Amino acid sequence: MFDKHKPTRQGEPESPEPAATPQPPKAAPAPASAGSANVAMIGPGIRINGDVSADSNLRIDGHIEGRSIESPHDVEISESGKVTASVTAKVVKIAGTVNGDIAGSEKVVISRSGRVQGNIVAPRVQLEDGALFRGSIDMTPTDSASSANAEKQNRSAGEAGTRPTVVTDQGKAATGSSRKDAELTLKSG
Amino acid sequence: MTSAALQVEEAAGAARAGPLVSRQATRLLPALFQLRNVDHRLMVLEIGSALPETVNFFSEFKCRLHFVDLFGEAFVRDQQSELSEQELRDAFAQQLRFPEGTRFDLCLLWDFLGYLDDSALRAFSSALSPWIHSGTRAHGFGIHHLAIRLDNIQYGVIDRETLSVRQRLTPQLQHHPHSQIEMQEMLTCFRFERGLLLPDGKLEMLLKQRP
Repeated sequence: MFDKHKPTRQGEPESPEPAATPQPPKAAPAPASAGSANVAMIGPGIRINGDVSADSNLRIDGHIEGRSIESPHDVEISESGKVTASVTAKVVKIAGTVNGDIAGSEKVVISRSGRVQGNIVAPRVQLEDGALFRGSIDMTPTDSASSANAEKQNRSAGEAGTRPTVVTDQGKAATGSSRKDAELTLKSG
Repeated sequence: MTSAALQVEEAAGAARAGPLVSRQATRLLPALFQLRNVDHRLMVLEIGSALPETVNFFSEFKCRLHFVDLFGEAFVRDQQSELSEQELRDAFAQQLRFPEGTRFDLCLLWDFLGYLDDSALRAFSSALSPWIHSGTRAHGFGIHHLAIRLDNIQYGVIDRETLSVRQRLTPQLQHHPHSQIEMQEMLTCFRFERGLLLPDGKLEMLLKQRP
């Protein structure tokens, strides 16, 4: 009789309580690249032959061989990550090995442990001391206004709180280490 | 490790940069930028590996940088004296392959020319010439005497008047001195625009495309 979750009787006016359908929790309003939320991960033991498309941030600890890796957000290739494919994202950060062209609509960063062979196109490219790079860099600096605008758009996208799922072309989860709240589409090459 | 990844390791491994050891003022590098009236994407060729400060410097420009680290290539390092000029030309041409229509505005040669013997210098010039245009300028250092020491270093650009000097971690190549006249004869794609003898005996060179 004290059940607070008792359903509303028919004919009664709808209460202003939250709807019965649970709402997804909002993503933390942190910058997309800073938080661990909305990050799809390809774990260190995973090897993928094919293309990868993500709707969220993507972290690659494993190996990918294919034509392309794409995300409208950030792609991070960690120290153990090895990629033979082109990479297209907003921010691409490389601490591992990449053999392929890289396009960053905002920035490309090659960390001190990063090894890259390919052509980079981005408004800003940052090479850390010790980074190894061979290829070409195509830079078109943007003004601070457009950077600020991009940052604003990024924040809005983060607040929208996308709730994707992990899908492979076989319809199986890509890996146990992949997070449930990220979307990955893998296309066999 | 896959063959592709191995290729990256090998290609990039030869290019690892050492620590920054000093800065060097340059009197001629500013001329590369003063002389240019660039209203298009600046095309830059650097013979050497990509250094953070160089990439950072060029991030001010709308540009495309091509890094070709020939210092680590076996045909330059070990086989220079064994190969014919034609073989060297082919080997350079293989490395200096760029997208169709590429013409460089600036070439940063650093001290690479000082490590080439006569036939390698001619072969390099021949392989580079298709990729430059009438307004192309180049910067580099030369040595004209065996007594002049060429340190095992690599350069980067900090700003228009300052170069970074880093230790090169790979074994030093044998150097080949050329007088300015010899250089003029063998480096057929460029002519001397200005030369500046530095206190350490090296010659800082500003070169312009030779018609």
